[in-house]
Amino acid sequence: MRAYTEKIREIARRLLEACTVERVLGFRRGSVPMMNAPCFVKTPAEAANLVWDSNCGINLANYLTSRSEKIGIFAKGCDSRNIVTHIIENKIRREQLVIIGVPCHGMIDRHRIAAMADGEIREVVEDENNIIVQGDGFKKVHNRHDVLQANCAVCTHRNPVIYDELVADLVEEPGDVDRYRDVREIEALSAEGKWDFFDDLLHDCIRCYACRNACPLCYCPTCFVDESRPQWVGKSQDPVDVRTFHFLRAYHCAGRCTDCGACERACPVGINMRVFTKKLEKDCLEKFGWEAGLSLEARPPLDAYRPDDPDDFIR
Amino acid sequence: MGIEPGRLQFSWISSAEATKFVEVAQAVTETVKALGPNTHFVKHEAKVA
Amino acid sequence: MKVIYIEKAQWASGLEKAGDSFRLWGPVRRGQFYAFEELAGGQVPALDFRNTRLSAKGLVYPQSEKMFEYTLDPGQPDHDLLKEAQKDYSPRAVLGIRPCDADAFELVARNFDTPEYQDPYWLRAREAVTLVGLACAAPCSTCFCTSAGSGPFSTKGLDILLVDSGGNFLAQVATPKGEAFAQAAGWRQPADDAAAAEIDRQRQVAEARIDSHVATERLRQQDTLTLHAAPFWDDVAFACINCGTCTYLCPTCWCFDIQDETHGRQGVRLRNWDSCMFPLFTLHGSGHNPRGQKVQRVRQRFMHKLKYYVDKYENGIQCVGCGRCVRHCPVNIDIRKVCELMNSYTLAGDSCAVVS
Repeated sequence: MRAYTEKIREIARRLLEACTVERVLGFRRGSVPMMNAPCFVKTPAEAANLVWDSNCGINLANYLTSRSEKIGIFAKGCDSRNIVTHIIENKIRREQLVIIGVPCHGMIDRHRIAAMADGEIREVVEDENNIIVQGDGFKKVHNRHDVLQANCAVCTHRNPVIYDELVADLVEEPGDVDRYRDVREIEALSAEGKWDFFDDLLHDCIRCYACRNACPLCYCPTCFVDESRPQWVGKSQDPVDVRTFHFLRAYHCAGRCTDCGACERACPVGINMRVFTKKLEKDCLEKFGWEAGLSLEARPPLDAYRPDDPDDFIR
Repeated sequence: MGIEPGRLQFSWISSAEATKFVEVAQAVTETVKALGPNTHFVKHEAKVA
Repeated sequence: MKVIYIEKAQWASGLEKAGDSFRLWGPVRRGQFYAFEELAGGQVPALDFRNTRLSAKGLVYPQSEKMFEYTLDPGQPDHDLLKEAQKDYSPRAVLGIRPCDADAFELVARNFDTPEYQDPYWLRAREAVTLVGLACAAPCSTCFCTSAGSGPFSTKGLDILLVDSGGNFLAQVATPKGEAFAQAAGWRQPADDAAAAEIDRQRQVAEARIDSHVATERLRQQDTLTLHAAPFWDDVAFACINCGTCTYLCPTCWCFDIQDETHGRQGVRLRNWDSCMFPLFTLHGSGHNPRGQKVQRVRQRFMHKLKYYVDKYENGIQCVGCGRCVRHCPVNIDIRKVCELMNSYTLAGDSCAVVS
C-alpha cells in the first residue's frame, strides 16, 4: 500500500504541475484510526498529503456530482463503476475527468474490527496480508481477508472498469464468489418472516441519512423524504416511515447500485441496508443480465425497453 | 418486503379491454378480501414517545 | 460531598429494590454498540462499555415526541380540543450515564429552561429523572471533556457518581435526588475519608489519561464576522456529506422540528430532532433557503457550538467533549481540528503590521 501512496502522490503532482487537471480528488490521513478523509488537492505541494491504504472505503464518485472543473480522481473498481453511472446519468462529463485507476485489494470493516478489539483501538497498521490492531494493553493481528468490508468480501470487480492510467498492475478478480447468499436467505423467509426481519434490521435507524448521503446515486436536488409540499413520508421515528425511507431509497438505486458499501460503512448504528440494494442488484442480474457501471455504451435496464423484457409478474 | 403474495398485483389492460378490466378487478378484490385487512405499512398514528 | 460504599454484591439487589419506586434505564449491548434501554425486572445495566453510541439526551428529549393530540370524533367527550399528550413522568433513574452526558443536561437546560421560556416537556422529563453516573477510569483517545468544562469524574448534572474500586462502588451522592435513590436502593453504608481520597486519586489518574486537548480561550474575543468569512470553511466542509450523524449522536444538539400528522379524524403534533446539516432545516415557505449550500450548513454547526453559544451564554463551548462526532463522522470531520482553526485564526497581516 505504501507503493500505492507514493505512486498516487507522484501522479497527482504531475497532473497538477502540467495543469492537466485543476483539482485531484483523493484521500488524506484521518484523525482517528481506520479513517481516511476525502480531500481535494489543488496544488502540486499538497499532493504530499494524499494516502492510500485499506481505509479508503468512501466512494469518491459521490464528490463529482455536477462539478464543473477538470478533475483527477483516484478510482477503485466500485468508484469507477459509479463514475460510469455518473457519466451515463449526465452528472459529470468524461472529458472533465482524468481517472486514475486503483486496482483494489478490498477495504477493511472498521466497525467490525472495533467491535472485535479488547478495548479502544489506538493504532491500526497494515502489511501485505495483515491488519495489525493495537490499543491499551492489547495487540491483534487479523488476516485482511477476514476483516474486509462485507461488500468487498464478495466483490467481483476489484479492477477499475474505466481509467486513463493505473496506479499499479491490475489484480486478479476473484473467481466463484457467491454474491447473494444473504439475499437468498431473506427471499426464503415467509412474508411475515420478512416483515419481522426488516423490523429488527431497521430498529436502530435514527434517520440521519448518512447512508443516502454517502451514496453517489443519491444526488436528487430534493430527496422524497425532504419534500414538504407535498410531504410523502412522515418525519418521525415511526417504524412505517423509517421503513418507507429505506425501501424507496433502495428502489431508486435499482439497476444503478454497484454495491460499493458506502451506505453501510457510513451508518453510525451498524445497519446492513445493503440487503435491500443487493436484492435489486440480483434481480437486475438475473432478469436483465445487467451489472451497473460496466460500460459507457449500454443503457441501464430501467432506462430501456426491449420486447423480450421479463413480464411474468403482469397479468 | 413482508407484504403477503397476492396483495400487490400488476396488470396491463388496454382501454379497449373492458372485459379484462372487470375480470382483473374482481379477481384482485376477491384475493385481497380473502387475505383480510392489511396490517403492514399501515400507520394509524405515529408510534413515537 | 457525601460518599457511601456500595458492595458489588449489593448492586443487583439494590437495583431490584429501587425498581419498586423508579423505572430503571441503563446501557444494554445492542449488536456492535451500547444503547440506553429500560431494564426489565432483575436486569442489571451493562457497565463494561466505554460509552453508548447515542448519548442519553433522548431519555429526556426523545427523538420523536408527541406534544398535542386531538380527535374530531363527536362521539368522544373531548372532541375538537387540542389536548396535551399524556406521558409517563413517574420517577426514573438512569444508571451508568457518563459524566460528559450528564453535564450535557446542564448545558441544554440553558436552552430549554430560560427566564422567558420553559419547555414543559423537557423540564418535566428532566425533573423525573435521577442520574446515577459512572466515572470514566479509561477515557477514549477522542475524549476531550476536560477541555469542554466537564471531566471523567465530573459530578455536574449527576445525582450520584459511581466510582469503581474493585469490590465496591464508591458513590458520591451529589443531590437530594441522589440521596432519595440511595435510600430506595438501601445503600446507606457511609464511607470514610479514605474513600474520598481514593476517588480523588482515581480522578487525577483518569484526567491525566486524557491526551486530547482543545484550546478554546480565544473564541470569545474572535470577531464573529471575521470567523464567518474565514477561508478555511471550504476545506472543512469539503468531505462533509451533510448527514445527521454528528447532530443526532451529540448530547448537546438541541434543535427540533414540529410536525402535524393527521390520521382520519384524529391527529397529533410531534416534535422531532432536527439537524442544521439538512437543507430542509432552514428552507423558507417562500422557497428561499438562506443556508442552501453545504459549506454554509457546516459553518453554522461549528459557529453555533464554538462562537454564537460562547458569546450568548458566556459559559464555554456548546460541547461536553464526549467525542462521539469525532469517532462516528463517516468522513472524519473532527470538531477538535475545527475548534483549533477557529481559536487560532488571525486575519492574514494582523500579526505583522507594517510600520513605515
